[in-house]
Amino acid sequence: MATYILRRVAWAVVASLIVLTLTFLLLYFTPDTQLAQLQFQAAQAGDDPEAIGAAYESYHGYDQPIHVQYIEYMGNMLSLDWGWSETRSQPVTTAIAEAIPYSMMYAVPSILISSVLGVAIGLYSATNQYTRGDYAATFFAFFGLSIPDFWFGIVLFVLFSGILGWVPIIFDTTAATFSLENLAQFILPIVVLTLSSIASLMRYSRAEALEYVEAEFVKTAKAKGVGDWRVLTRHIFRPASVPIATILVGDLLGIILVSSYLIEVVFGIPGLGTLSFEAIRDQDTSLVMGTVLLPAFLTIVGNLAQDIAYTILDPRIDYGDS
Amino acid sequence: MAVDNEPRETFEDVDWDDIDETTRSFSRKTIVTIGVYVLFAVGLLYDYVLKPSRADTIEPLGISLQALDWLYILTLLTILVGVVVPLYENGRMTRYYWQQFRKNRAAVASLLYLGVIFLIGSIGPRFLEQPTVDSSNAYQPPVFTSAPNWLPVECAGEVAGGSCHGTWAHPFGTTHEGKDILVSVIYGMEVSMQVGLIAALITITIAAIVGVSAAYFGGWIDAALMRYVDIQITFPTFFLYLMIVYLYGGSLFSMIVIFGLLGWGGIARIVRSEALQRREEEYVLAAKNAGASGYWTMRRHLLPNVSNSVITAVTLLIPGLILFEASLAFLGLGDPTVPSWGEVIASGRNDLPNAWWVSTIPGIFLFFTILAFNFVGDALRDALDPRAEGGDQ
Repeated sequence: MATYILRRVAWAVVASLIVLTLTFLLLYFTPDTQLAQLQFQAAQAGDDPEAIGAAYESYHGYDQPIHVQYIEYMGNMLSLDWGWSETRSQPVTTAIAEAIPYSMMYAVPSILISSVLGVAIGLYSATNQYTRGDYAATFFAFFGLSIPDFWFGIVLFVLFSGILGWVPIIFDTTAATFSLENLAQFILPIVVLTLSSIASLMRYSRAEALEYVEAEFVKTAKAKGVGDWRVLTRHIFRPASVPIATILVGDLLGIILVSSYLIEVVFGIPGLGTLSFEAIRDQDTSLVMGTVLLPAFLTIVGNLAQDIAYTILDPRIDYGDS
Repeated sequence: MAVDNEPRETFEDVDWDDIDETTRSFSRKTIVTIGVYVLFAVGLLYDYVLKPSRADTIEPLGISLQALDWLYILTLLTILVGVVVPLYENGRMTRYYWQQFRKNRAAVASLLYLGVIFLIGSIGPRFLEQPTVDSSNAYQPPVFTSAPNWLPVECAGEVAGGSCHGTWAHPFGTTHEGKDILVSVIYGMEVSMQVGLIAALITITIAAIVGVSAAYFGGWIDAALMRYVDIQITFPTFFLYLMIVYLYGGSLFSMIVIFGLLGWGGIARIVRSEALQRREEEYVLAAKNAGASGYWTMRRHLLPNVSNSVITAVTLLIPGLILFEASLAFLGLGDPTVPSWGEVIASGRNDLPNAWWVSTIPGIFLFFTILAFNFVGDALRDALDPRAEGGDQ
């Protein structure tokens, strides 16, 4: 098992390096819009665009051969020097660090709610298969899976803040983290994010639990007179919890990263998504790269955690090295 | 006791050369299939090589085909050849699948809905002008509803009691730029279908080739292909699209191609694991024993037997792609020349309190299209995949 985990960690590192390399290559072979703009301005002002271009390239080190640039780029990325955000006049890492708390404020509650509720509803559906409650849960899951979260967010936002006036229209960054004000402005994002992440969790827990509902040991337990609750928690949930726990980390993370991007733009939350969106709009390339690479690294770490969780939680898996 | 007058044919008497002849000659279906593709290739060649570059493709009709249109035609042709014709030929199987599929009423309704969307989306844009900016026509409410009279610049319908009533001229109303929403929605149908179907075709093609060859050849080919898939899956697709669209700009064509070229990893894994199981089955071993080539085994024995799970997986992939396109268009990273649902939703975002219809109507279409694909995919899984029973209804 130890060898497996080591191999898995090594692969995560290699994957990160490959992602960085690909990003470097993408950037290297992309025509620089900023340079084109500078040259255009220079030409309009009567300066020599060639000279401006050369000065710009040597300032940024773009005139170096590719391997020098590559080593420099990788060194910078690994030492967390992710470049300078021109539009925000601060280092990219600082901008990201300032944005993360806002993303966490609704993502963490949403993850907690959707994992607890999602697993609970999934277990209920599995033990009450083909009942009205199960159909309702299935319908709810399809609804959550299919509703475009940015659209749902807009509709809720207009309904509750524009028409009913229950939640503030403009996001207030000065509100304390644990205050009613903050709850009011985060309640809708939490609802939308939970809805989009709970669906797959419900479906998955239902499918996993169904494998054990008819299992021999569950029948035996029932025959011995074990109560419903105990059967559910001890005999069905325990074996099903391993695969469920893994989807919690890996897949949920993926859904949340994408959904939160759009939700932040809709609700004007100054988190990572908005930061990235504004960077794209303002052509702030280093900030775009930083905010896009971060989710990629989070996914790598999430997949790593998922695989390691599997090995620790499920002793039945044999990795052939014990 | 009846006596056979004719000499019995023994194994040695069978003229194997004759049988080889008949099986090797092309059947009518193969000729038609190849003919259709050759016709397509000729058309493509004509459009890109022979005709003057600025002229319309079919001059007298004023039809101009872009790269995206050609790709869409190819996709539809392939669906015709690869799905519709086999279904028609194997009537018994089709009836069986349909019986299974029909059990799920929501899926039947969804299929009908998707068919209607596809038809309207294919025909509508041929006859309707693209919605144009017309500021005097802004904020017309949909038919049967009304809006406060100050909102539209010039109310197209009747004004009663200080509110402007919608007219049949704009059944779904207009945006703040005066674009007709019904027309935009119809154009959006085509966009969504193009995104879903073309990207799905590219995905299926690559995933099937990669998955089947990884499973069949094994060894270093398998290792190399699957390592590549590992890396591709590592990068969350949405952010990869975001980065590439940011760096290289997003025409609808390039967006769809990116979706197709980068999103096949998961399905290739499914194909591989399925094909690995099939590879060890008796009929594959028998085929190999009889001297079947690698290509023949993959084409005739592995591919058809993994196709069910591939079709199901792709049907469930399509809604995700449509949602991605809508999301990117909503963020303003889509193709500015094409009216897509996401773009209309974004354009009505700030007007929602007064002009609710601008964002709401395309959103409803988007929602139901995604829902319909999810329902159809779910029912297909039940109907096509006998192995996946029980667990997930």
